[in-house]
This record gives sequence, C-alpha cells and structure tokens, in this order.
Amino acid sequence: MRERIDIASLVAGLVIIALGTLLLLDRVDVLDLRFGWLVPALAGTIGAILLAGGLANRSP
Amino acid sequence: MKVMSAATAPALRRDPAQGIAAGVCLGLARRLGVDPLAVRLAFVVAAAAGGLGIVAYVIAWAAIPAPAGAAVPGARRARAQVAAGGGLLMLALLLSLRELGLWFSDALVWPVVLAAVGGGLLWRQSRTSPLPSESPPRAEVAAGVYRGGFGVALVVGAGLLFLQTNGALGPARDVILAVVVITVALALVLAPLLWRLGRNLAEERSERIRSQERAELAAHLHDSVLQTLALVQKRADDPRAVATLARRQERELRAWLWDPGAPTPDASLAASLRAAAADVEEAHGVPVEVVTVGDAHVDDGTIALVAAVREALTNAAKFAGDAGPVALYAESADDRVQVFVRDRGAGFDPAAIPGDRRGVRDSIIARMARHGGHAAIHPAPGGGTEVELTLENVST
Repeated sequence: MRERIDIASLVAGLVIIALGTLLLLDRVDVLDLRFGWLVPALAGTIGAILLAGGLANRSP
Repeated sequence: MKVMSAATAPALRRDPAQGIAAGVCLGLARRLGVDPLAVRLAFVVAAAAGGLGIVAYVIAWAAIPAPAGAAVPGARRARAQVAAGGGLLMLALLLSLRELGLWFSDALVWPVVLAAVGGGLLWRQSRTSPLPSESPPRAEVAAGVYRGGFGVALVVGAGLLFLQTNGALGPARDVILAVVVITVALALVLAPLLWRLGRNLAEERSERIRSQERAELAAHLHDSVLQTLALVQKRADDPRAVATLARRQERELRAWLWDPGAPTPDASLAASLRAAAADVEEAHGVPVEVVTVGDAHVDDGTIALVAAVREALTNAAKFAGDAGPVALYAESADDRVQVFVRDRGAGFDPAAIPGDRRGVRDSIIARMARHGGHAAIHPAPGGGTEVELTLENVST
C-alpha cells in the first residue's frame, strides 16, 4: 500500500533545511546574517511549521 | 543485541506528561531507542554553544506533535496551531519589511498591528457568540470571556502605545486618571446594585424552569392518569377491565417517572418482551408479571423469540388466565437468551395436543428451531405449565 505524504513533516523539514542553509552561509561568510534578519528567519521557520501542522491536523 | 527497525520503533511524538518541559527529548529518545538523559545532555551542550540548543528545542516542539488524546482536543489544537503559525509568519514578514526599509515608523505600525489583532479577536468573539436561548458549556463561556478580554486589552494597549510613542500620553494622563477614578467610583456604587440584579435574574430563571416543569407534569397527568381514571369510572362494573386499565397506567407512569430514556421495542429485546406482555395483558385482561435481566439487540432470531413468547403468553392467558397472573422471566447474558413463561393453570400434556392445533407446535417449537433455538414445555413447580425458550448466539 502506498503511504500518504505527511505534509507537516515535509514542510517542517524543508524550512529547517532552509534555516540551516542560511546559518551555514552566515558561518562561511557568504552572507551576513544580522540579528535583524535572524529573528524574522526564526519566526518564519516556527510559523511555517505550526501552520503546516495545524492545517494538516485540521484536514480529515 | 538490541535491534530496532523502522517498523518497530515508536512514532515520533512528544510526551509533555512525562517529559521535563515539553517532552521533546523524551520523544526523540524513544524514537531513537537511546537513553533520554543522553538526548537531554545533547540539548544542554547545544544550548551552551551559542543558544543553538534552545532554538532547536523550540523548533522541535513546534514540529513534533503531542500524542493523540492529549489534553487539548484535536480540532482546537489545530486551530491554535494555525493561528500561532499565521501570527508568526506575519511577524516575520513585518520584521523583514522593517529590515528592508519598507516601513512607516515603529510608532505607527506596531500599534496598528496590535489594534488589528485585538479587533480581530473581538470581531471573532462577537460572530461566534451563542444565541441567548442556548446555554453553552461553562468552558466555552470562559474561553469566550478570555478571548474577548484579551482582544480588549490588545486594542487598549495599542492605543496607549500609540499615544506614548507619539508623546501624547503626557497631556492625556490627567484625563485618563480622571476616567479611571470615576470608573472605580461608579463600580463601587453600582456593584451592589448589579450583584442584586444578577441574583434576581438567576432566581427568575430558576422560577421559570420550575414553572415549566410543573406545566409539563400537569399536562402529562392530564393526558394519562386523569384520562385513565375517567375510563375506570365508566367501566366500574367490569373488574377485569378496570384492573387492566390500572396496570397499563401503572406501567406507563413508572416508565415516565423512572425510565424516561428507556430503549424502544425496535431496539431492545427487553422492551420488545414488555410490549408483547402489555399487548397480551390488554387483549385478554390477564395480568402478566414481567422480569427481565440483561438485554439483547433486536435481530431476526430475537424477533422470532418475541413472537414465540407472545404465543406462549396468549395460550397461558387464554387457558390459564383465571388461575392467576402469568409470569414472564427473561435473562440475557453471554450471547444467550432464556425466557420462561409460567402460568398457574391445570397444565397439559404436549404430546396429547391434536394435530390440527398448530399454535404450540408451529408458532413456538418449530419457530424457535428454525432460528437455531430450542423450546421446551414442562410442568411448573407448584402447578401450572412452564414454557422454556432458549436462543444461542445472540448479540447481547
């Protein structure tokens, strides 16, 4: 039987990968991730995970 | 050697009930099959290294679901997640715009955002308020009050923040102080009056409920007991009819008083047997005493059983009704139903029944056999006849 894709986990994985990439680029000095950008990045990551989880749980 | 495959490993779930904080480390440890202490130490070390562990913990808390059946119901939890997620995304967008320079000013935007969120909460609260005739659960009322109060606090806070950041709060301070003092004074003056008003309203509501209950009781007594008493007066010359009327009324009144939610005959074997006994009692004027222990669902087998019982009751009422009341005892347990119909008549020999009398042979014995049951007729202890009906594999 084919398994259903868990959208919440998928979105969570993707945004965490994106956040990790940003932090890595900051670490190797490709970009300068200041505090003013780090806060919205973290808020966006957590917000996307919560939103995806909530929408996935709400749909039957 | 301990081997844990993907198929046997438990699903990744937080355990807030047994965890130290949100149960993230415990959930991860169970999933990975390692000691929870090791995972906790890893998070502590990561937290000491620039706070990364704290961020990872918060993200894991948001990403890993709590077990099903946790304290917060699924739908409510999902709504809260969507609201929190949407709010955080909006905050991220606003902070990004601010960082890009696409921004009016902190003094304008943040009060507007706060006022919009508070107004949204108030609007949602007013939209979902129940009608006055409905009585919502206490928890929902409390949640509504909290939501509304939070919305008011946000809107007022936004106004104060706007005044403060624009330097207008200083001149307005005297006015606000005067308003607060007058409000407190009015509250002190009006509090006893409001409290009395609330108490009067509660008493009035209780009196209205009592009045409705009295009216319902009076209507029921009129429709049942008073009508039966009128019939009893009319048929006073027929003792058997009067007894039948009285027993029917007694049954109905008992059911109304103590068993208002009783199952209907189409859903319960016990109710079907009671209905059959009432029919026979009414048709033949012979009292039928019913005792049921346990109950069973109605299906083809139990429908046949009730028909056989009805036939046995009819025979008892017809041929032994003058000797006294007929007894019906039914017991349902462990997929098995046993029914006994006993009369106090002279008794009879089943083998001596003429061939053209098919009541006992077809309607009772053969009917039970067709549905996998069994019927036996034997003398009752102390005189009379006992019909024993047994049905197996019944859904009790």
